[in-house]
Amino acid sequence: MSILKRRHVLARLASLVMAGGLMAAPALADDHYPDRPITMLVGYNAGGQTDLVARAAAKVMSEELGQPINVVNRAGAGGAVAGRELQKAKPDGYTIMFHANTVVNTAPFLMKRVDFTPDDFEWGGFITAYQAGLVTQKDSPFDDLDGFVAWAKENPGFSYGSLSPAARMTMTEIAKKEGLDVNIVPLNGGGEMLNAILGNQVVLALSGGIHSKYPDQMKMVAALTTFRHPNDPDVKTIDEFGYELAMDGRAGLYLPKGTPADIVKTLSDALSKAQDDATFQQVTGAANIPIMFLDADAAAQEMVSTYQKHGDIFRKAGVEPQ
Amino acid sequence: MTQLIGGFLDVLNLSTLIWIAVGVTVGYVLGVLPGLGKATGVAVSIPLTFYLGPVAAIAMLIGIAKGSTAGSAVSAILLNTPGEPSSAPTALDGYPLARQGKAQKALKMGLFASVIGDFLSTLILICLAAPLAQYALLIGPVELCAILIFSLTFIGGLSGKSLLKGIIAGALGIFFATVGLETETFIPRMTFDMLELDDGIALVPMAIGMLAVAEMAIQAGNMRALDLETAQIADSSDPDDRRVTRAEWRRSAVPILRGTLIGSAIGILPGLGASVASFLSYGATRKASGDPESFGTGRIEGVAAAESADNAVVPSSLVPLFALGIPGSVIAAILIAAFVLHGLTPGPLMFEQNPRMVAAVYAAMLCASLLMLVIGYFGQRLFAQVIKVPMRLIIPPVLFLCCIGAYMDTGSIFSIWVMLAFTVFGFFAKKLDFSFVTFLIGYVIGPSIELTFRQSLQLLDHKWTNLASHPIAIVFIVLTAATLVLLARAQSAGTTRTDPQPTGAEPQPSTQGRNR
Repeated sequence: MSILKRRHVLARLASLVMAGGLMAAPALADDHYPDRPITMLVGYNAGGQTDLVARAAAKVMSEELGQPINVVNRAGAGGAVAGRELQKAKPDGYTIMFHANTVVNTAPFLMKRVDFTPDDFEWGGFITAYQAGLVTQKDSPFDDLDGFVAWAKENPGFSYGSLSPAARMTMTEIAKKEGLDVNIVPLNGGGEMLNAILGNQVVLALSGGIHSKYPDQMKMVAALTTFRHPNDPDVKTIDEFGYELAMDGRAGLYLPKGTPADIVKTLSDALSKAQDDATFQQVTGAANIPIMFLDADAAAQEMVSTYQKHGDIFRKAGVEPQ
Repeated sequence: MTQLIGGFLDVLNLSTLIWIAVGVTVGYVLGVLPGLGKATGVAVSIPLTFYLGPVAAIAMLIGIAKGSTAGSAVSAILLNTPGEPSSAPTALDGYPLARQGKAQKALKMGLFASVIGDFLSTLILICLAAPLAQYALLIGPVELCAILIFSLTFIGGLSGKSLLKGIIAGALGIFFATVGLETETFIPRMTFDMLELDDGIALVPMAIGMLAVAEMAIQAGNMRALDLETAQIADSSDPDDRRVTRAEWRRSAVPILRGTLIGSAIGILPGLGASVASFLSYGATRKASGDPESFGTGRIEGVAAAESADNAVVPSSLVPLFALGIPGSVIAAILIAAFVLHGLTPGPLMFEQNPRMVAAVYAAMLCASLLMLVIGYFGQRLFAQVIKVPMRLIIPPVLFLCCIGAYMDTGSIFSIWVMLAFTVFGFFAKKLDFSFVTFLIGYVIGPSIELTFRQSLQLLDHKWTNLASHPIAIVFIVLTAATLVLLARAQSAGTTRTDPQPTGAEPQPSTQGRNR
């Protein structure tokens, strides 16, 4: 126990000390990659869902690559701080980042200072997807989005829980189209969302995926992804309901721009091993996070297309980055 | 009850007890080190528990959480550096006690209060998890907002000699808390285009800078006198200064119980957390004592009040987790992952599906409380030696620890700049006698008030008449109004009353926290 803890501390100390030293190090021969430990940045604090997935993935990859992977949490601005740091790192495959891709394909349309584009990074593959959806209490009078809209027309002034400007946009678009009178209640994180739904404070809320842990208390009325959720295959997506607001979020590897293609492939192959790893499945399964692997090429394409698509959705809704 | 006995049977074997002891010890050490909090400790340890049985694993993780909560008092008392933000009020009286040569007394009281708060709160969890949690959900944003506004009136009781300075400090706390992304639309407030400020100013580097580094700077400025003082006080020969006397127990009993109640209640309510609990408990005890000005100069009740509340939060924040599957605190949220990994899904069904295991977890938590007493008791003897070291040798390593603590919190050099900025702030606040407590209360409560107020506006559909359906909120609004009227009366009557008193706060000028 204390050894790992200490290693964690040392990793941070080492990254502090070596920050200057690494710059001067000569480029190492690629055919031996990796021949020294790899640093994996995570843009969230230790203990969150993405962090747990990242650590589990790091374990699998490190067994595969034969070198330790030190997970370093660099929280801040939803991952933008870590992204900036990754951009400054040497593109040699020894500094990588595991994070949600939303900081590139969604955040720039909401926050002026986050100006990432898919072209700013190399993409090493995605391993899991986020199951965002609109959720309500298990015993509420409607079962799907159409039912909700019909109910909402009868009940003006209802409350909706919003976790972010994107969640806000989803509801304002629906309300605009259907002429609903909604009070949007700002919520600070998934925990507050749970309280708001289970405490009957709001009738509907956007959940980033945590609702699938509460099948006895909550139900989903529409998936906000382009695909139906593996945990809830019977619930239609918001596009199927005719709103065209679906946006996908995935978690996987970011690499600094200019990382050699063979290293990208090595990392992508190592990440793919997590799909069948028992411990990784246990970690993701416990949190009901679906494993949906995309290799490096597919990930790069996914980034270009979702960046375009999400940008269109926000621009059409009149959402300006702040 | 029979279940609980069965639970003890599962726990009282050597290997499980050893893992609990390991968890408490690790947690205690993490708690002592500033910046290494229980959240980081538990999060990093979760993967390690893959190799343990479910009961041992969960018991060890809870042991870490409990141990670090208690351990954070040690550095708060000895070095004025709270190991975790929730121990900041412990430093307010604990550190002056240590400077008076009563470090062991303060440490012991801190530990006893921690263990009592923790143990009683665990009992509350065991007895009331299911029934209480139903009520926890009745406390929505509207009620929370009213409760928080009520708790702001404590600033009145906490501001020390000058109510005006207290209010200024509290307002500054709220002001600094507004930095960062606004929750609803992500509009950045006063971030000056620095991404690092998007999540606001982190509490840990700020508290370390204001409390510890500023203190070290002030002490360094008065080195010679301090060396003399250390030589005199380091080894207090009076055995009464090394233990908690009967009279002190009597004085501290009520603060401990009050702290336990406040801590348990705050733990059950979602979204508040240990810092709010320990500050409120400290404030309430100070207000309830006949002599609020003497707090901050080494009152043992201050330590007792803060530590009992701080530790009571940990078990009670598991109440909503166990009964409804809702995390009441960061630590509870992290523990969800651990529970699920080990086959226990938190929520009402847990009691039906896995009663034996729930009982075992309860039993393990009680064992962790007792082990904490033993480990803390012997650990303190080691740590208490620190006070015998001359100040000039202590300052450099403490500054080093401060930097590490600030850095570890976010893993970024930016935190060290934050720490240094607030060192300057803390230095002048101390010199000019502005209250740290009201500043930190404003900082901790401010954002919650703003958010819950805005939530309330929406939930009430912008009509104040809708408050009628929130009786709990009305009760607290009335209480707030009543307190304000009382405070105003006391203030106008007190201008004549308090005038002859200021000297009463400084009975031993040479040994106090603000004697430099």
